[in-house]
Amino acid sequence: MALLSIKNLSIGYQTKAGMLKAVDNISFELERGRPLGFVGESGCGKTTIGMTLMGLLPGNAHILGGSIGFQNQDLIQLNEDQWRRVRGKEIAMIFQAAMNALNPVMRVDEQVIEAIVTHTPDISPADLDKRINELFDLVEIPRVRMKDFPHEYSGGMKQRVIIAMALACNPKLIIADEPTTALDVIVQDQILKEIKAIQKAMNTGLIFISHDIAVVASVCKDICVMYGGQIVETGTREEVFRNPRHPYTKALLGSYLSLDNELTVVIPDMRETPDLTLESGCCRFAVNCKTCSSACKAEVPQWIDISGSHKALCCDETIIRNSHE
Amino acid sequence: MLKNHYIQRFLKGWKIFIQNPLGKMGVVILVVFMLMALASFFVPHINPMYDPMTGIDPDIKISTGPSLTHLLGTDNVGRDLFAQLLEGAKVAFIVGLSSAFFSIVIGTVIGMVSGYAGGMVDTILMRMADIIMVMPSLVILLILSSLFGQFNIWIIVFIIAIMRWPAVSRVIRSQTLSLKHRPFIEASRVAGASHLRIIFRHIMPNVLPLAFLYMTFRVTSAILVEAALSFLGFGDPSQVSWGMMLQWVWKSGHMFQAPYWLIPPGVSISLLTLSFYMLGRAMDEVLDPRLRKEGQS
Amino acid sequence: MSNLKKYPLIEMKGVTKEYSPRKRFFSKCQNKVLALNSIDFSIEKGEIFGLVGQSGSGKTTCGRLLVRLEEPTSGSICLNGEPINKLKGIGLKTYRSKVQMIFQDPYQSLNPHLSIAETILEPLVVNGLGNAATRREKVLHTLEIVGLSPADDFYDRYPHQLSGGQRQRVAIARAIVLDPDFIVADEPTSMLDATIAIQLFQLLTQIRKRFDMAFLFITHNLAAANYLCDRIAVIHEGHIVEVNTANNIIQHPEHPYTKRLIQVQPGFDFNG
Repeated sequence: MALLSIKNLSIGYQTKAGMLKAVDNISFELERGRPLGFVGESGCGKTTIGMTLMGLLPGNAHILGGSIGFQNQDLIQLNEDQWRRVRGKEIAMIFQAAMNALNPVMRVDEQVIEAIVTHTPDISPADLDKRINELFDLVEIPRVRMKDFPHEYSGGMKQRVIIAMALACNPKLIIADEPTTALDVIVQDQILKEIKAIQKAMNTGLIFISHDIAVVASVCKDICVMYGGQIVETGTREEVFRNPRHPYTKALLGSYLSLDNELTVVIPDMRETPDLTLESGCCRFAVNCKTCSSACKAEVPQWIDISGSHKALCCDETIIRNSHE
Repeated sequence: MLKNHYIQRFLKGWKIFIQNPLGKMGVVILVVFMLMALASFFVPHINPMYDPMTGIDPDIKISTGPSLTHLLGTDNVGRDLFAQLLEGAKVAFIVGLSSAFFSIVIGTVIGMVSGYAGGMVDTILMRMADIIMVMPSLVILLILSSLFGQFNIWIIVFIIAIMRWPAVSRVIRSQTLSLKHRPFIEASRVAGASHLRIIFRHIMPNVLPLAFLYMTFRVTSAILVEAALSFLGFGDPSQVSWGMMLQWVWKSGHMFQAPYWLIPPGVSISLLTLSFYMLGRAMDEVLDPRLRKEGQS
Repeated sequence: MSNLKKYPLIEMKGVTKEYSPRKRFFSKCQNKVLALNSIDFSIEKGEIFGLVGQSGSGKTTCGRLLVRLEEPTSGSICLNGEPINKLKGIGLKTYRSKVQMIFQDPYQSLNPHLSIAETILEPLVVNGLGNAATRREKVLHTLEIVGLSPADDFYDRYPHQLSGGQRQRVAIARAIVLDPDFIVADEPTSMLDATIAIQLFQLLTQIRKRFDMAFLFITHNLAAANYLCDRIAVIHEGHIVEVNTANNIIQHPEHPYTKRLIQVQPGFDFNG
């Protein structure tokens, strides 16, 4: 059975301009040991998904429908008390801004201890000590640095502490939201390796959110490409990145600059930002789509199966089928 | 063409301002008081006995309650309380607006220069501000007026303005400091803009909302300081202000006998200061495009 | 004219920049931070020169020195062979009209209180160029060049009504409106999405071709520098460790730091 299964999830933000459907009718399943990557650009709803799974949606957000199945319960039905038992213990998050996620006036080890004690208040001091040492070994921070304050750490080390805090209670699912965006490429490389190794060692579920397709490709086995609140293409990383079918996935790959000339640069013509106030189910990419016909704007896009787990969301089946290069 | 541009801008701002419930309420209250202040010019012409200072109803010898001839009643020598209240509104506007305006102008310019220039200029200006800020303005006013006798209302306005700019300048300075290194200021420097242009074209519009917000606080505090001063008997004896009315009701021993005399000036002081506060909040939204709703600008 | 020819457009000679922390009471030692350590490079007319480095490497300081937002501690910067360190008044103003900058964050680099037109007009106004009608014409023309068309639509808008990519186009318009010889572009796309960034790269290449402007392209992304630049300098902890043509840097890196940078670039190897 899947660790996490989301069905037809829709989330909207109530704003002065109306209801913005930041997540529109999304379904996916996550297995342990198969990291799932969400890739898309700012405003595509990938962070909203992460926040929903942590029960941390802001006050103006509304869950408009759908279900989140996790360990025989529907997370949408949980109240704040029940959330507190899940959050951090069952589902943990590695935040983006490592610089701001640590309390500057607390020693680093105290912050990790706090993360453990919150969920296991009756842990014995000896066990706690053992656990702390385990965690710092796991993220490769020397024990002599445990008593330091966050400002004495480099950006990469702070991010490791964040990872240690996320791992503190042996969560079953880890959500990593742009964990390396603020880091240098060299540090990013180390952190990505670490996340991969830890995921393998602990066999947790991992949802990895990033705007950088190469980073997602290096960590995740399965990929969801998001645009304007919708998943537009999904499949294994080989399927999605070697054989992209949706015009947006192609644009994303075409604008990626890499050093090995594996991908040819194709400059996309995307000027518009997706209109999130559109009615649920409409193709959000239609405003930027060159292959779009007038019918696209009226019709509801359908999932078109390509092969195995690989499928794409589009109104026009022939475009998806014939777009193989 | 240029004039037209600014008129358009003002109308746009007004539209946003009036859509804000706080702004709407503030404006309504303010308009009422403004009408009262205007009316104070005409009332004495209806009948000389409605002159707030010298008009005495010959038929009345003691303080009486509301009646048709005296809507709010009279004080103990037979002067009309409603006329006094109208006159008080006028004085409150004069004192509040002018002293707030002066203190804001001084405070904003000093704050911007101090923050933008930094170094020695900053140190000197801010130490000066510190010194003035720790001086209790009401006590200073009391000491000065007991030394030199009761002051003319304009001198009071001037002293309040001089005493109250430092707080404004501190806030404007810190805002300027955070703006100074913002890329759009640096972009303007790269484009070759002079320091004066940067201060007045780029920094000023960004600190104006704060200055306006503080202006409303200054109006409030100036009205309160003047009221306190008058209530303690150190006000301008030739002006009828709300504080003065309160002093008279207290001095003549009517504090608990004449609620029609005590309550109106008290309530007026609170309402007018409240309305200025509400105006400030609504103005904030006009001057800062980021607070506006989509499609409104 | 002939003696101008032998100088590069812009040149940094032994430029060093130190930051000394503010003097405090009770503190005896002063730890100076060396942001740049004797930097040498030159940029030719019409060239896009990449400066690649990680955060804290001094790459942004380098750009700020070139537009005189900061002064070097020692060394000199020359435009067409003439040192700019001592420029003041009119001389500085002339220099500023020739050297412009595009900033990193399009959400911070436009004054929210000025309309798009007012923003792009500013360099023209402060340099006293043209009259109201010709300035308007120039602004509309520049808006078209940077791809904000129809220009009339954008003329009276405010920054908060534009997307990040459009704002950055406005910032580019402000930089090119004076027809400068040289533009410092400090991570102009690091805050933007990849699909938007690549369109801006295309725009910069078009502008270079059309006006023969030189660019200093500051970035942390080696792949972006490789895509856009003729030559690349790799900067590490205040030192330039390697300068070469873009192709040579990527294909035949010499310095170990450059090699490391290339090695950690995430690629699409699906073996992990």
